[in-house]
Amino acid sequence: MNRKGNKKYTILWPLFFVAPFIIFFLAFNLFPILYSVFLSFHDWSGIGDKVFIGLDNYVRIFTQDKTVWKSLGNTLYIMVLGFPLSIFLGLVLAAFLSNLKKFRNVFQTINFLPYITTPVAIGLIFTFLFDWNTGIINKIITFFGGEGVNWLGNAKFAPLVIGFMIIWKTTGYYMALYLAGITSISEDIYEAAKVDGAGPVKTFFKITLPLLKPITIFIVITSLIYALQLFDEPNLMFNVSTTSVIGGPDRSCLTMVWNFYDVAFGSTARLGYGSAVATTLFIIIVITSLVGMKLMNKKEGK
Amino acid sequence: MKKLASPLSYVLLVIISFISLFPFYMMITMSTYKTEQIFQTLPFLPSDYFGQNISTVFQSNFLQSYGNSLFISVVSMAVCVLVSSMVGYAMLVYDFKFKKALMNFIMLTMMVPTQIGIIGYMIEMRSLHLTGTLWPMILLWFANGFGAFWMIQFINGSMPMEIVESARIDGAGELKIFFGMVFPCIRPGVLTLCLLIFLWSWNSYLVPLVFVNNESLNTIPIFIKSLANAYRTDYGAQLSGLLLATIPLLIMFICGSKSFIKGLTAGAVKG
Repeated sequence: MNRKGNKKYTILWPLFFVAPFIIFFLAFNLFPILYSVFLSFHDWSGIGDKVFIGLDNYVRIFTQDKTVWKSLGNTLYIMVLGFPLSIFLGLVLAAFLSNLKKFRNVFQTINFLPYITTPVAIGLIFTFLFDWNTGIINKIITFFGGEGVNWLGNAKFAPLVIGFMIIWKTTGYYMALYLAGITSISEDIYEAAKVDGAGPVKTFFKITLPLLKPITIFIVITSLIYALQLFDEPNLMFNVSTTSVIGGPDRSCLTMVWNFYDVAFGSTARLGYGSAVATTLFIIIVITSLVGMKLMNKKEGK
Repeated sequence: MKKLASPLSYVLLVIISFISLFPFYMMITMSTYKTEQIFQTLPFLPSDYFGQNISTVFQSNFLQSYGNSLFISVVSMAVCVLVSSMVGYAMLVYDFKFKKALMNFIMLTMMVPTQIGIIGYMIEMRSLHLTGTLWPMILLWFANGFGAFWMIQFINGSMPMEIVESARIDGAGELKIFFGMVFPCIRPGVLTLCLLIFLWSWNSYLVPLVFVNNESLNTIPIFIKSLANAYRTDYGAQLSGLLLATIPLLIMFICGSKSFIKGLTAGAVKG
């Protein structure tokens, strides 16, 4: 290669191709976060002067503001309700689907549809389906002689509905990713396993699953980040303008981002304090993903 | 594995597919009912009120919201895919200082939850005098960590370096190589990323919620939400609005699903 030493190919052109990404990222993604961090040390409503108050906002988050921690708990609870099951289902369905000769694309497309649907639409449809008096789900239950459940008005059931919504939405996406991974595994490996007398279940656990590890890592990390930022679905379902209380019954569906949104842009704009909540959230997300990555890679090393 | 393909797996897949489709089906049938009738029966079969509901929807600023969303998604998608492909190309073709550092940087950008910075972003847009336009909902898509990562992986796996080398010997310029030779080679990856960015920007909710301050800026998600407020009691109209808003994505996905899944497979192998 004669490119070595030629400045055109080691500085100018690389810079040209890489610069747009770096510039846009710094300007519209990183700068806003840094500016939020800066604002978090101030008391500011968005108009007038910013008042520097040091760590006061953070002191308040860690000593007084119970809502921040409740919303963290809610988010984690909803996450545990939804994601493990949908990832597991995605894997199992992909394993089944990979053996089908017919209808594979049909099944895949159908189950992918929930993932591409606008969350706003999902929120509204599920509100209709799960409504206490008029919802289809309760109508079906009463049709079979059961008693209707107040799905959306009870703090016990509301997070379950959100969890179900997550499973409904993401299973097909995980299935598609896993299926892509399974199809890329060479047939020879399976043939060899067969010759060695391994049954289908054993083959799945000893061969397929370990080879899918990179995809599993990708899925777990991205769904962690997604889950910690959950906002659209719960907000759409429980943001009723007739009540001043946000977050659904007993605030059981108030997620961290929803709480952050309410602090910053709700009835009273508290941009300084909102930024502190955002920064706390940011740190939680980054630490969680780093720890998640470490753990997954460690397991791989064994 | 072959034995797993029993009738049982068909049954399971059919059940899951049914659950996936059921809300869509209910949305379609309920949108053909007059609101009062939705609640009198179990609306499992279509009725005849669809035309009325649709005309109610069109009396609001549905078309404008549609146009806004389309503009936002198309521009975001075009710029993001171009910028990401450029990074992917540079990573394959050039040797430069900080190449490794850049790769780590891009891995990190994937983990940065952009919506967390929305307060700072709002102040930034305000001082750039861009509030009151659609641009705040577009600019933050230009540099997407996932997009860059995706294109790096994809170009690395599907572009032989020899093509670039021999094109250079033939005297082709870098831009000509990039647009004329590389782009056609990486079409499945580009299409997949196009679809994803279009989808994500179209469905985006939190950012428009902060920036849409009057009806003329409505995006589709915000429009649907405002439908729920404006026609509080007119569920039929709400649902037909939903249906209209969902259809283009459905069609787009179904048309592109073959190449989408192909791109996903190619990307996921290394992912």
